Amino acid sequence: MAVQSVRSLFAGFALITACRGGGRGGPAAAPLAVTYGQHVFAGGAAPAGATLQNPFRGDRASAAQGEVIFGAMNCDGCHGGGGTGWVGPSLADGRWRFGGSDGAIYQSIYYGRPHGMPAYGGLLLSSGAVWKLVTYLQSLAPPADVPTEAWDTSGR
Amino acid sequence: MKRVLLLALWSGAAHVPAASQDAQWTMPAKDYGATRYSGLAQISAANAGRLRPVWTFSTGVLGGHEGQPLVVGHTMYVVTPYPNVLYAFDLTRDGYPLKWKYRPNVDPNAVGIACCDAINRGAFYADGKVVYNLLDGRTVAIDAASGKELWQTRIADLAQGETTPVATFVVKDRVIVGASGGEFGIHGWVKGLDLATGRIAWTAYNIGPDSQVLAQPGTFRPFYDTGADLALTTWPADVWRRGGGPVWGWMSYDPALDLVYYGVGNPGPYNPDQRAGDNKWTASVLARRPEDGALVWAYQFTPHDSWDYDANAEMILVDLTIKGRRRKTLVHFDKNGFAYTLDRATGEVLSAEPFVEVNWARRVDLVTGRPVLDSTKLTGASRGTVKHICPTLEGGKTPAAPAAYSPRTGLFYVSTNNMCMDYLAAQATYIAGTPFIGATTPYHAGAGGGGNLGAFIAWDAVRGRRAWQIKERYPVWSGVLATAGDVVFYGTLDGWFKAVDAKTGRVLWRFKVGSGVVGNPISFTGADGKQYVAVYAGIGGDWFLLAGDVRSDDPADVRPPADFSPDIARHTSQGGIVWLFSL
Repeated sequence: MAVQSVRSLFAGFALITACRGGGRGGPAAAPLAVTYGQHVFAGGAAPAGATLQNPFRGDRASAAQGEVIFGAMNCDGCHGGGGTGWVGPSLADGRWRFGGSDGAIYQSIYYGRPHGMPAYGGLLLSSGAVWKLVTYLQSLAPPADVPTEAWDTSGR
Repeated sequence: MKRVLLLALWSGAAHVPAASQDAQWTMPAKDYGATRYSGLAQISAANAGRLRPVWTFSTGVLGGHEGQPLVVGHTMYVVTPYPNVLYAFDLTRDGYPLKWKYRPNVDPNAVGIACCDAINRGAFYADGKVVYNLLDGRTVAIDAASGKELWQTRIADLAQGETTPVATFVVKDRVIVGASGGEFGIHGWVKGLDLATGRIAWTAYNIGPDSQVLAQPGTFRPFYDTGADLALTTWPADVWRRGGGPVWGWMSYDPALDLVYYGVGNPGPYNPDQRAGDNKWTASVLARRPEDGALVWAYQFTPHDSWDYDANAEMILVDLTIKGRRRKTLVHFDKNGFAYTLDRATGEVLSAEPFVEVNWARRVDLVTGRPVLDSTKLTGASRGTVKHICPTLEGGKTPAAPAAYSPRTGLFYVSTNNMCMDYLAAQATYIAGTPFIGATTPYHAGAGGGGNLGAFIAWDAVRGRRAWQIKERYPVWSGVLATAGDVVFYGTLDGWFKAVDAKTGRVLWRFKVGSGVVGNPISFTGADGKQYVAVYAGIGGDWFLLAGDVRSDDPADVRPPADFSPDIARHTSQGGIVWLFSL
């Protein structure tokens, strides 16, 4: 499982590179309005050129089916009930290590990620099932993403 | 109180120079009896108030710093959590500079297969080698003088959900290792490796037919059970193949009986409906011959475990006078909340008394060796949410935090948890290399409410009762050091490292170290002839999962605090630091 996830990840990178290159010959061919930084996949936002859209986005029935898959595929064993984080990172905090766009979440599930996220695509889950998982994760109401945690200092 | 209890002080590893065993700390639990007792006495109840920090070192790693350093001669060895760096400090030079460090290339995928943070429980020194496990399923032997790798052996398979944070254990020419993965549906085992070459000499499963368990007629004589293939017939067909039974705790050894003792973890999945039967030998203690792994006896603390009561806690070997009779005993503080005293030659249970609040069983029947259950606390997917089970699956005491024994006081010193849980089991699906759990188990405070989620206790195993306790606001998750100065050391999750009077439990001294303590203190004699105490700071392990707001290193991972204890992160955050204290 672990070995396969790494191999699949490389396949994922190859796919992205192929899409981005588009046969036009590397960074020099990028439109002037697009800065270099926008082509670097550093998490948070996928580079332009490879956009996948969730066909079920916002669909509550699909989100509910995704929640069942989240339990049935043992996702909660690593990411915690409700996706709030366990040995794997929180998926309910509105923050994404490998990008939070439809396509980035899809690819994280389908191809796996380093540090032990297995590739669920193909063998274990159909493309549609992965999208339902994406829909479920997107339905988890993220907290207001206030970066402050404070404690009551009035008592002891 | 008349103290007639003396323990047979096991000498250390045969390969270590005899020069003052107490000056050094060459194996995880100090000695083969796993007493974590140091004969050093410079630091005493009279002067412990003058302890002060004299040296610190950041390991550069943020994972939970369980385990303990080793000191061999005047070199201190420190293994970090993943990525399992091994540091060798020269204690003869000013500032204790490194002699070398060893940085193995550990597979990062192991981090996601490890159930409960990427921890490591420590190395073992033997025959000029520092032997320890890498998280990704390898054992390595490093030349203690040069830091060069002498051998490495693949012992476990990440793809099957196996990881290897367990402390290694060396007896004669055998390195004995096990694997974690009770949450991943592994088929648990221990292996005996050749100390000189790393070659796997034997593999002994904890579950399965006698041929795999290495139970041979005539050699294997459990005290309470009869029949062949006990570890097969107590499972549904084929379910045993992914039944868990991990080995992630501590081992001990009796040279006279030539037996190695270790505890086996939980059966999988947590939903017991999927595995009818006793599920031997999960949640059990096993006694094996180190040379060939042959099973000599076994005893199951929690048959058909329905609460994740792993039995991986240490087996402390001391000789006690029980009901007027001198016995070679094994004392064990189980996750299930009972303190057991067994005859370590036979596996007979001599006593079993609760050392924390226990309600899943009323008592242990000493005739049958079985717990007398409260049927309302049995769990399973068919039973819905079962409320208020004590203790939680963190244990009355976590096996990660080993207890200590002082032959001077005759007391055991134990870090305990005061928490209970609700348990909602659900059908679990086995997918190799992913979690195989099937339960949701929220915790709440135990007796007395949330004022003390833990306590540090002294336990009298002869009388089967607590001698004294120090209530702690948080669960106590550090190992314990007992010393001949009648001072006992432990640390707390909110980062206090404490010295207490071994006789009375009075706190003599405390110091706020850099992070919560989940490691185990040790003591040794420095090159200057002074007694030192070393401990890791570095909250983690289960507390990385339960109190996820103690982490600060990943901007894309923000977690809620532990609902049963919302303010741990007010007092500590992650960070691995080695601390040294002396007078």
